[in-house]
Amino acid sequence: MKKRVGVFVCDCGTNIASVVDTEKVAEAARKIPGVIFATTYKYMCSDPGQELIRNSIREHELEQVVIASCSPRMHEPTFRKAVEAGGINGYLFEMINIREQDSWVHRNRSQATGKAIDLVRMAVSKVLRNTPLQISSIPITKKALVIGGGIAGMQAALDIADAGYPVVLVEKEASIGGKMAQLDKTFPTMDCAA
Amino acid sequence: MSVENTNQWEPKIIVFACNWCTYAAADLAGLNRLEYPAEVRIIRTPCSGRMDPMFVLRAFNRGADGVLLSG
Amino acid sequence: MVAVAQHPNIELITYAEVTAVNGYIGNFTVTIKKKAKYVDWDVCTGCGTCEEKCPTKKLKNEFDLGLGQRTAIHKLFPQAVPGKPYIDAENCLKLTKDKCGICEKICPTEAIRFNDRDEYITEEIGAIVIATGYDLFPWEKAYGEYGYGKYPDVITSLQFERLVSSGGPTGGKIKRPSDNKEPQSVAFIKCVGSRDDAKGKSYCSRACCMYTAKHAFQVKEKMPDSEAYVFYMDVRTAGKNYEEFYQRSVNAGARYIRGRVSKIYPRGDKLVLKSEDTLLGRPIEVEADLVVLATAMVPSEGAEELAKTIGFSTDKDGFYQEAHPKLQPVDTFAAGVYLAGCCQGPKDIPDTVAQASAAAVKVCGVFSKAELPTEPMVSEVNTEKCSGCGFCVPICPYKAISLEEIQERGHHGTITRKAARINSSLCQGCGACVPACRTQALNLKGYTDEQLVAEVDALCL
Repeated sequence: MKKRVGVFVCDCGTNIASVVDTEKVAEAARKIPGVIFATTYKYMCSDPGQELIRNSIREHELEQVVIASCSPRMHEPTFRKAVEAGGINGYLFEMINIREQDSWVHRNRSQATGKAIDLVRMAVSKVLRNTPLQISSIPITKKALVIGGGIAGMQAALDIADAGYPVVLVEKEASIGGKMAQLDKTFPTMDCAA
Repeated sequence: MSVENTNQWEPKIIVFACNWCTYAAADLAGLNRLEYPAEVRIIRTPCSGRMDPMFVLRAFNRGADGVLLSG
Repeated sequence: MVAVAQHPNIELITYAEVTAVNGYIGNFTVTIKKKAKYVDWDVCTGCGTCEEKCPTKKLKNEFDLGLGQRTAIHKLFPQAVPGKPYIDAENCLKLTKDKCGICEKICPTEAIRFNDRDEYITEEIGAIVIATGYDLFPWEKAYGEYGYGKYPDVITSLQFERLVSSGGPTGGKIKRPSDNKEPQSVAFIKCVGSRDDAKGKSYCSRACCMYTAKHAFQVKEKMPDSEAYVFYMDVRTAGKNYEEFYQRSVNAGARYIRGRVSKIYPRGDKLVLKSEDTLLGRPIEVEADLVVLATAMVPSEGAEELAKTIGFSTDKDGFYQEAHPKLQPVDTFAAGVYLAGCCQGPKDIPDTVAQASAAAVKVCGVFSKAELPTEPMVSEVNTEKCSGCGFCVPICPYKAISLEEIQERGHHGTITRKAARINSSLCQGCGACVPACRTQALNLKGYTDEQLVAEVDALCL
């Protein structure tokens, strides 16, 4: 695999850009060995932002992508799809968090910018060692097992059965009902328990 | 060190954060705008079970001043 | 209950236990042991003639928690679902001494099968909901000050439920077990076994404050001239309409006394409760005809074995461990296995129903897909490097690693040896196996040693 990394730095409106000098981050990224393209954009997750990613991958024949933006716990699936739409494997992509873990927790502009550059360097270093991964799929037997026929088991079994799926309900006693069947009326409505 | 214009020495701390708890907590710190020193650098791990003592030694070996494992 | 039995999509297997679970989400193979009932339920109409004629009549009725009696062949309770009887093999004269056999003779549909045996069946299953519920804390073994169970008129709340239930042994009349007299005063003690590090459990059982308020209310409702005392540490009524219900009980005349009962002892045909009223700061003594203990909930018997069978963990108290206390309260660490009700922790009926519906939605979520995508960031084995030590097998929390025989070409022909194999459907990509591998044969795709070291280096230099 060739080393052709593209780095995309997101401003997140002013969320990131007000603390982190994103232009400077992109500029520093261009100097990292293996990086052949780096840019910033106001909202990388938006439609035009994703289009920028797709087009840049084709235009610059990128092989790996690093996106510096918000937490990957939020937008990693979004960007993975965007990268795939650009024509490369979604796992030849790394995302780093320069919002929740940088611009939102630091105030010093030069320190926060320095941290973002370090994180980009880290991600580039990792992405160059990524390999394409494939998602496979497994079949599903659409039948549920519910163990226990008390109020919890009965409710779960009924809900699954009502959704149209077959359910096997296993109860250790000779009757369902569980502790619930032993109760008299129940609070706060004083309904009967059966 | 890529930090510019820092007159004051700050220790470089490498944090290994489990994706499911500590990394999420660090995100939460961001959401709440809790401030902490910028010299903290977080490496995301899929679980603290992934940690290998080798990573810690490597970090110290390469000049880290402190390592925090959290998960 | 009847809705469950009548639902065309529900196959009800009662008097049965799950003995083995193999496979993974979407593809479990479950073994179910159907215990011998000695009655062919396909033929039995549930007419009840056998129960009338069975000569072994004086057995303790477990459903009434020992307060009533039953026959050897019996329905669990009159409204049982399915409404069919089974034979208690330990007490049946025919099965123990080869005498009697009356039920077989008089059964109009010839449904009795004395030669019935346990039967094992297997089912192919895609997702599992566990709802094994709770048992009561065995207070008789821990609370000497309440008589270790030797006073018949010191009972549990669940026994009290049977006393007030119209389907119970007294037909819903509150009568104390020792002499069947209507009690003039009933004392309730909360937190027996709950919130007691020394003798019981550290946790709060959550439902007791409310059901005790209900019991005190029922005492005042059914016997307006009697007294209802409630000894409590705190009154916890966090729930919709709960505080109002508690106030209703207090307004009905229930007398709440803040204090732990330190001793119960008999005086004449009454029981004396010694305590302190901590709000007044002075000792207090109450005479009661009946004492009801709000006993802690503990995981049901066999819960731990079931967890081991399926392959997920229990918490310090033996309740099933949810994957995340806030964000994944019905998931377990085993994909495709979900929790509902008190098996996960003590809870009341509204919470149980809510959790059960949540678990059902999780199952439907799995079933709504045509196929399940597998996460590609899973562990992989370099078989050449693997020594087959098996050290990784017990490390894996998801039972995803097994040792399998492989064949290799050696200098002197084919060699058969063992090597680790990862089931990528079970592997959750935690990577715990990787540092455990002594020969560095394991690696986690997406988080390889090389990748993580590269990250460390990039940050440090």
